[in-house]
Amino acid sequence: MIARLALAATLGLLLAGCAAVERGASPEATAGLPRPTREVLPNGVVLIAQEQWASTVVALQLWMRVGGRDEGPGEVGLSHYLEHMLFKGTPTRPPGSIDRLIEGFGGRSNAFTSFDYTHYDLVLPAAHLRPGVELLADIAVNASFNQADMDAERKVVLEEMRLTEDNAENYMSRRQYEVSYTPHPYGRSLLGPPETIRTLTRETLSRYYKKMYVPRHMTLVVVGAVTVAQARAAALATFGRLPNVPASRPDVSVLQPLAQKRTDDARRPEEQAFLGLAWRTAPVNEGDVYAVDLLTYILGDSPSSRLNQTVRERDRLVFSIDDNYSAWEKAGLVTIIARLAPANLDRAEASILGVIRGVREGGVTETERRRAIVTAEASYAFDIETAEGLAKAYGQAETTWTLDNEIAYLARLRETTAAEIQAAARKYFGDDNYVRVRFVPQAGAR
Amino acid sequence: MRPARALIPLVAALALLSIAAPAVAQSTTRVRLDNGLLVLIRENPVAPVVAVSLMIDSGTRWERPENSGISNFVTAVMVKGTTKRSGGEMAEAVAALGGKLSATGDVDYSEIQSSALARFWRELLDLTAEMALSPALLPVEVDNERELLLSRVQKRRDSPNSRAFDELYATLYGRHPYALPILGTPESLKRIDHAAIVERYRAYYRPGRMKLAISGQVKAADVLVEVRRLFGGLSPGTPATDAALPAPVAATHRVVVEQPAQQAQILVAGLAPRIADPDFAAVKVLTTVLGGGMAGRLFAELRDKQALAYTASAFFDPVRDPGALIVYLGTAPDNADRAEQALRKEIERVRSEPAGAEELQRAKGYLLGNYEMDRRTNGRQAWYLAFYEIESVGQDYPDRYRRAVEAVTPDAVLRAARAYLTTVTTVVLRPK
Repeated sequence: MIARLALAATLGLLLAGCAAVERGASPEATAGLPRPTREVLPNGVVLIAQEQWASTVVALQLWMRVGGRDEGPGEVGLSHYLEHMLFKGTPTRPPGSIDRLIEGFGGRSNAFTSFDYTHYDLVLPAAHLRPGVELLADIAVNASFNQADMDAERKVVLEEMRLTEDNAENYMSRRQYEVSYTPHPYGRSLLGPPETIRTLTRETLSRYYKKMYVPRHMTLVVVGAVTVAQARAAALATFGRLPNVPASRPDVSVLQPLAQKRTDDARRPEEQAFLGLAWRTAPVNEGDVYAVDLLTYILGDSPSSRLNQTVRERDRLVFSIDDNYSAWEKAGLVTIIARLAPANLDRAEASILGVIRGVREGGVTETERRRAIVTAEASYAFDIETAEGLAKAYGQAETTWTLDNEIAYLARLRETTAAEIQAAARKYFGDDNYVRVRFVPQAGAR
Repeated sequence: MRPARALIPLVAALALLSIAAPAVAQSTTRVRLDNGLLVLIRENPVAPVVAVSLMIDSGTRWERPENSGISNFVTAVMVKGTTKRSGGEMAEAVAALGGKLSATGDVDYSEIQSSALARFWRELLDLTAEMALSPALLPVEVDNERELLLSRVQKRRDSPNSRAFDELYATLYGRHPYALPILGTPESLKRIDHAAIVERYRAYYRPGRMKLAISGQVKAADVLVEVRRLFGGLSPGTPATDAALPAPVAATHRVVVEQPAQQAQILVAGLAPRIADPDFAAVKVLTTVLGGGMAGRLFAELRDKQALAYTASAFFDPVRDPGALIVYLGTAPDNADRAEQALRKEIERVRSEPAGAEELQRAKGYLLGNYEMDRRTNGRQAWYLAFYEIESVGQDYPDRYRRAVEAVTPDAVLRAARAYLTTVTTVVLRPK
């Protein structure tokens, strides 16, 4: 329903990928993540292409190594603002024509901004590969930013800021990131401070665009009912012709677990309370990601998980409870969010901590470990049912870690032992190094 | 790069022709068991997964204000355990398959949906049948689930967007049960007791009211044998009879709700055709011209050009009884009045002048392209297979629908706008 929203903090470690064959599995169960063709064009653009004949569409995704973490003073929010402006038009594409073109093809477009990257996604009937790639290459370097569009979009982005606050779960997620990571760039709002957006000029935006949208920051992913040769020809004729210029990203430090607890309480209009706990954990490039990922599944991914079975079903302290692990390039965060009656806030927190203490002290069972692995395998199998799902797995891997890591992912999960999962719980999940955010109802609300 | 605009009509037409056949062979088996259960199996070799949708003729349209929410309530209690295992054991068994198993109510049906890695299709079907055919329906779980459902009703009331839509349905449909919320109301949920849940389950979960669809990397013949084993012994019983429903009457209403929120919500809606109505395709195209996608008029005009709204779109979902054509804006409180006026202007425009040829082509391309894309995953395919049986439109519906959309003329869109957007209900939610 809502297009082109910033993907603030909802990206889990969906990367899970693999072609590994489980011993003894029947042939029909072995279809895995294919290794795509990867090529670095002379100007630095990375092309990833994979044929997928499951349907008649092609997914085209432009992944930029540009995100919230790259913004300097006065630039906070510009990565996201650019994302909004790119589909607006170029010198050869008048306002509105891009959306009409894509939708007239029977296609869709979307775009997402995150801390480490921004990506622009098209899904089109495969016959439109060439105009689709031409479009992405055009908006990657020729966006117009005409003044009327700038002023209209300013209001839209300011409205988007208000919108985040209307949904308690989204707002909780954002607050968890802010409290967990401040003053690191990952702790800033991707939408930026309202003041920056209100006073943003075309010149400032253009400067950031020219600096960051360079071939060496670009990855084009093509997955679908086209041949690799067709994808390559389209990429060479468009992205391949962009001038080679130097590129650089600001250095950003890797975040370690917190030394002490951080808390934040806010009053909200809802009549129910929300409790969010978060632990800083392993970034995507660290060996611990596999153990932390499995631990996240075991703690809170499904109705059979420990948090659901203990805090919701046994203690009946929450209406709902979920967890999520987001592994970024420079930090990881495991978040738990519960919806509950305000009177249960303290007991629910204690119950959650009890569940985690249980893993620290007693470890996890072999059954739980296996269940988590098969859940990861399934979640990956469902993600790659569509061309865009597979393209996203490739694009994210290329941008924040490596395709090799991605392809070996499930095999690495399978090798992870119960002892390693317990060790990860001990290393990262303390009783005193977490972030707690609570939303409590306003006194006398309604 | 050259401007591509001039090419649109030509390539869009080609696109319409080219989206029909997937490159990988898929086939559907449709069988009715002796006890009345309808079975649909789609072999789809694309990914190592399988999805199941079991739909039951039990939904809001069979409810009254006194028992509002009971269809969904039954599904909520069903997932809490069977006569063979507890809810926790059930959840563990499903998780061991890399699976998901859940159940929900909707307006025209209740659905049990499940999915897993394809190599576990047999176990998944087994668990799905166990939940559908031998739920424990324990009194204690009825009480527990009531509490959780009440919390969800409260959550919907707290959410400005859900609240506005619920107010709209209530006003638009009057005495027709589509006016009732799927979750029920605090009053009805408190009234529905264990006996009512059991009685409802027994009357509605009969094979003649069930459609079972399976899609995935499976062999239809093997699946059918297993389905017969699991469901074949079920007695037809005496299914509930369907009473005639009061027809909703179009009337002009304007409802203003105040509640704490950052955003104002503006909804304008007219009663619209049912899925089987000959006008259905024209109204779908009309909805898309107005508010489908980012080139739809609402998004292009109200958001992109005038920046009067952040969210701007139109909805028209297929249902068995009269549908609702809903035009929706989410906007800053300061803009609410101007946005509503601009919205009315767009409605007036679509009622007074025909859409241009290029615009219509964009709408059709978008509509059919999205329809095809939505039918790619096994979860969605299973849903569509069962849904078209629930709606009694037949499995050739996708082809008929596609042809009907392609045949829609500018004049048909104009007539549809005049027929369904003249007497409208308005709901405005204002932040306070």
